[in-house]
Amino acid sequence: MSIMDDKLNALVERDREHECQGFGTDHVCVRIVAVAKLPSRFGDFRIVAFWNNRDQKDHIAIVHGDVIGFEDVPTRMHSECLTGDVIGSLRCDCRDQLETALKRIGELERGVVLYLRQEGRGIGLANKIRAYALQDRGLDTVEANLALGFRDDERDYAVAAHMLHSLGLASVQLMTNNPDKIGQLQQYGVKVSSRLPHLLPPNAHNRFYLETKAKRSGHFIDFSGMPHLQEQSDPVVVDGMSEL
Amino acid sequence: MPDHTIIVGAGVAGLECARRLRRAGRGTVVLERTPWVGGGCATRSFEGQPVDVGPMFFHGQDPGFLAALGRVAGGTVLEAWPRRVQGGSPPCQPDALEPVSHRLAFAEGLNAFPRHLAADLDVRLQTTVTGIRPLEEGFEVTTGEGTVFRGRDLVLAMALEDTLALLATLPAGTGSASIQALLGMFSSVPSLTLIAGYPVGAHTPPWDLLLPESEVLQLIAHDSAKRVEPRFLTLVCQARPKWSRVRLEQPMVEWAPELLEAASAELGPWALRPIWTFPHRWRHARVDRSCELAQPVRIRFDHGQTLGLAGDVFTPGGGLQAAWRSGARLAESLLAG
Repeated sequence: MSIMDDKLNALVERDREHECQGFGTDHVCVRIVAVAKLPSRFGDFRIVAFWNNRDQKDHIAIVHGDVIGFEDVPTRMHSECLTGDVIGSLRCDCRDQLETALKRIGELERGVVLYLRQEGRGIGLANKIRAYALQDRGLDTVEANLALGFRDDERDYAVAAHMLHSLGLASVQLMTNNPDKIGQLQQYGVKVSSRLPHLLPPNAHNRFYLETKAKRSGHFIDFSGMPHLQEQSDPVVVDGMSEL
Repeated sequence: MPDHTIIVGAGVAGLECARRLRRAGRGTVVLERTPWVGGGCATRSFEGQPVDVGPMFFHGQDPGFLAALGRVAGGTVLEAWPRRVQGGSPPCQPDALEPVSHRLAFAEGLNAFPRHLAADLDVRLQTTVTGIRPLEEGFEVTTGEGTVFRGRDLVLAMALEDTLALLATLPAGTGSASIQALLGMFSSVPSLTLIAGYPVGAHTPPWDLLLPESEVLQLIAHDSAKRVEPRFLTLVCQARPKWSRVRLEQPMVEWAPELLEAASAELGPWALRPIWTFPHRWRHARVDRSCELAQPVRIRFDHGQTLGLAGDVFTPGGGLQAAWRSGARLAESLLAG
């Protein structure tokens, strides 16, 4: 066991009785409940499990290197996407976004990926598949996506802010293409020292982004004619593409 | 027409929506097909004795909903009803009997709540909306009775299937296609219900709510246990969704005796001989809990007028709490502009 393991395990002990006002209008409060080593194909990590007082979702942080008390820790927020992350779906770019974050952070001295268990950004898996079904019928799904719960980020930020606070990061460099995220996290007292653009390496599945004129609406149709949903609260930027 | 909102459906969702809009100074009119307010939150009277026909009790955790129930004027609150629950089958709403849920009923019947919500509202009963269409700066609603209503915003707060039927009357290309397709994937759950009245005293079930392990019955409620000095022992028998669906179009004389037999199998032969019975067919009793949306829908039309959809489908959690919350949330969203 390294000093880093001891420090993280001390957080479990510290949080055992943790109670606070909570973050955001929902008063979300989280506790670090378990920490373990997680060697992965993307580098050596530790996985930190959180309990929260609002839902039965176990959010996690994937931590590389010594982060407690450090300034400028590279940090990425990722929302769970079973279809992309696990199955490798090509309807979204979540897998590329997650892998790129893990690889980059694995190569750096330190960093954190928050893996938020809010499938489809809170929409739930079944409802996300309903949204896909609507897309399959060629429907524009703006209102339908709203009804399905597709754009409610507030709780994500409150949860993420509390998680970063619990991990004791002095400040973060946020890996995002969505500058709004910085303000959102700052609202909850997270010190964001800078933004790191989250550029995806071009591959066969995302090359169409380079060949489509980037639109602020973020409406992209891939080579097989499938519209890509922006399932992360973060526009996709493929390396070589002008940032949105 | 400015700021005037037409609400179709005087159930808990529509009434709460209308109440909030009116409190904020908006003109509202509520159009209701039946002769009473409350939708599924229904209470009938038998020789002066109230009997709940839809949900048997209120349950929830939302502080706003519980506070709203607490404000019902003249309601005799029965805290924590049902206290005596028997049978191992899960209730219609899985969390209704969880310790975290608050439960209550009214001695006057659950319908006291929607009647309270409707107290200061302009509700037009027995007014069946048959068509809706967008106008230059609002909506026009036509009714089976021949009257026409016009308003800037329109709220549909009915059972899912009735909402879909009205959306289908919109002219093509008005922007609700994706919502119609989405709602088309959903469905409500039916429940055939039989109320049976017996003499007081001969037999008294030792429970308030029975959840039998039966393929026919979802529940039997000891309704008269909610009443002050009841004239009858009243039992409300509600059938399971699957059983109800295949008998939905059959005449009541065919399914009502079957339901009574199933009740008798649980209670004993005495239950076969009520003094009176009253059947009710809930075509759309409640949302199927696998079909829940995150929030009420707002469809904006060309000139900024809004078509809003509320009801238990449009808020997670099910039951009257979800209906109430969807109406409240839609009203707040309309008021925010």
